[in-house]
Amino acid sequence: MKKELLFSGIGGQGVITLGETLCDAAIKAGYNVTFVPFYGQEKRGGRTMCNIVISDGVESPIISEADIMLIFDERSLHDYQDLMSPDGTLIINSSMVQIEPTVECKDIRKVPFNDLAVEVGNAKTANVVAMGYIAKLLPEIPYEIIKEKVADSFAAKPKLIPVNMEAIQKGYEL
Amino acid sequence: MKAIYEKPQVFTDAITTYCGGCGHGIVGKLIAELIDELDLRENGILVWPIGCSCLSDRYYDMDAFMALHGRAPAAATGIKRADPSKFVLCYQGDGDLVSEGMAEIMHAAIRSEKFTVIFINNAIYGMTGGQMAPTTLEGQYATTAPKGRKEINSGFPVHMAEIMGMMPGVCYSERVTVTNPGNVAKCKRALKKGFENQIAGKGLSFIEILSPCPTGWKMSPLKAMEWVDEVVAKEYPLGLIKDTTKEEN
Amino acid sequence: MGEKVFMQGNQAMAESAIRAGCKLFFGYPITPSSEVPEYYANVMETRPEEGVMFIQAETEVAAFNMVAGACATGHRAMTATAGPGFDLGQEAMSYMSAADIPSVVVEVQRPGPGDGEILAAQGDYFSAVKGGGHGDYCNLVLAPYSVQEMCELMQEAFDLAQKYSNPVVLLTDATLAKMRESVELPGYKEAPDPKTVRNALTGCKGREPHKVVTCGDGAVQWEEFNLRLQEKYAKIAANEVRYQEYNMEDADIILVAYGSVARVCESAMKLAREEGIKVGMIRPISLWPFPNVAFEGKKGKKFLVVELSAGQMVQDVKLAVDDKKDVTFFGKLGGTTPSPKVVLEQIKKLV
Repeated sequence: MKKELLFSGIGGQGVITLGETLCDAAIKAGYNVTFVPFYGQEKRGGRTMCNIVISDGVESPIISEADIMLIFDERSLHDYQDLMSPDGTLIINSSMVQIEPTVECKDIRKVPFNDLAVEVGNAKTANVVAMGYIAKLLPEIPYEIIKEKVADSFAAKPKLIPVNMEAIQKGYEL
Repeated sequence: MKAIYEKPQVFTDAITTYCGGCGHGIVGKLIAELIDELDLRENGILVWPIGCSCLSDRYYDMDAFMALHGRAPAAATGIKRADPSKFVLCYQGDGDLVSEGMAEIMHAAIRSEKFTVIFINNAIYGMTGGQMAPTTLEGQYATTAPKGRKEINSGFPVHMAEIMGMMPGVCYSERVTVTNPGNVAKCKRALKKGFENQIAGKGLSFIEILSPCPTGWKMSPLKAMEWVDEVVAKEYPLGLIKDTTKEEN
Repeated sequence: MGEKVFMQGNQAMAESAIRAGCKLFFGYPITPSSEVPEYYANVMETRPEEGVMFIQAETEVAAFNMVAGACATGHRAMTATAGPGFDLGQEAMSYMSAADIPSVVVEVQRPGPGDGEILAAQGDYFSAVKGGGHGDYCNLVLAPYSVQEMCELMQEAFDLAQKYSNPVVLLTDATLAKMRESVELPGYKEAPDPKTVRNALTGCKGREPHKVVTCGDGAVQWEEFNLRLQEKYAKIAANEVRYQEYNMEDADIILVAYGSVARVCESAMKLAREEGIKVGMIRPISLWPFPNVAFEGKKGKKFLVVELSAGQMVQDVKLAVDDKKDVTFFGKLGGTTPSPKVVLEQIKKLV
């Protein structure tokens, strides 16, 4: 098994946290995982992107083509859509992205993650809704492990665990 | 016959490369006497600079580190932090300390490094042939100031002992000279104070020594001594600038 | 060996250094190396039993000279920096090699020249491998390509520095520094007693004084001094060549790469093999001494050197091969890294 993933957004949207949490889950599921973050030089509001490779063996940490790409803002779509595998899944946060993708990709999903997060009751959970959505596309990593790792990431703020569990379930059931 | 003075034991038989009338030799002897008196030879590390004194490791029968130009306080920081039990002496001239290594001495003072700094101020670059130092006096001849140092071009002489006196991390700063037996005795007392502060684990001690450079100044040794007293010491007043250890006592 | 963790390159490397008995860190923060001083600063506060001492220096100039002073006492000390900081450390690199100081420096490469970006690059090969300071000296330069190898070489660097009384540079890049992957942290090693380290400044009680100096005399003495240094470098060159070969038995095309881009090339090699192209790889691990021996007896093979530079290591490859016309170069600049597919396209051009 080898999956190449690219998540990109603006600093503060939580795509890096999402990526790290998914990596933790993939490791627990027994895979080799590399995670490479890329930051803009600005401390706030800059580009945050990560390459994740989940595989059985040692692989390049730099991806060739994304099997799953998660796009949280318009500039990310513009910058990275060419790295999409034609057979992969391009997930666009339609709450934030109005422009149309130009890349040839059979499977494009537009999901309003921010609106769904508001429905859950906490606008900050958009990335966790996305995690649930991605979990469904990665059956190799047991959903229970992903949920456990999301809960672990809120260990310091246990009050937030229930709403985030609701958020991940919302994404998973879409 | 009873010996009333002997060569300090820490001295090797190496002959110094200093010119006749140079202040380095006098200060070097005081350091040696204090190393003997305070029994520092076996537990001390001497950090030497780039400049006329860069071969000084050969004169002392003890561990030594020759630092890069200006970097002696950084090297001494590494040594003292690695092994705080050692007595670390940092010896620098004006090109080394005030010009190339201004950042290093300032930050050693900011961090209150627990070592002793001896600063030889002879207002000229001796080893490299009489070029201007940051401490060269206004109007003083140097090969890079052939009509004398000018304020418009080179600004003003730097008063290191006063600057060090302003630093909270410095526990002791004094300016002395070695132009006559009385001054040599005062210089030794200042050095001893700086050494003892370190042994007691206090902050950085700084001793600036106005030192004659007859070769660089193109004067006879005697004239150079007079020039320190009559001219250089007017720009750089002698005396104690700071001693926080007194208040503690 | 210790526990398996999912850890960032810089942090795992810092932990490994501490476990190798390097308790002294002097550094100036610079992206993408800052997690190393941050890690040391945290351990100093949170694990006092480790006896870690971290000093944030005023400049890299000072940091490198602090390392020189600390290592001269026989204790293990290091700094970590990126290209612009490594530039400032060059006078100390030249000095530490000349004065036989066993020091360790991590250089996390980012693009230049000038200020530059903060992503991965390999444009500091020359300054690390050829010596960016003055005079004839050599750094022992090691180039890991995974977080695991970063940890292992980090620990070994201290032993090598001490064995040869010479600086060792661990040359990484922003991708390796920032990436996280599974790593089995190496165990604790006992640092040697400073008194057993050659020429260490420990106070001269019961022995002849030790002097950490260069030469200081006339031309004849300087020549003798230099010749003695050259003997040291010859010994390192004879003993410390390291490299890894992949699929060399039947390879027609041989990729040559180090650091993070070697990981990319390894995947590109697999993709090429899936398409029936016989590709192998030589991965230099010691950049100085360069593994010339790996290129011997390979007449007729095609070499594709891939670097995140305008072509630096490729010069050493050309010196090592039988016929430099067999060598092709592919470089990326400015913080971009080619993907395995991009390297595959370059491979196909040689078929």
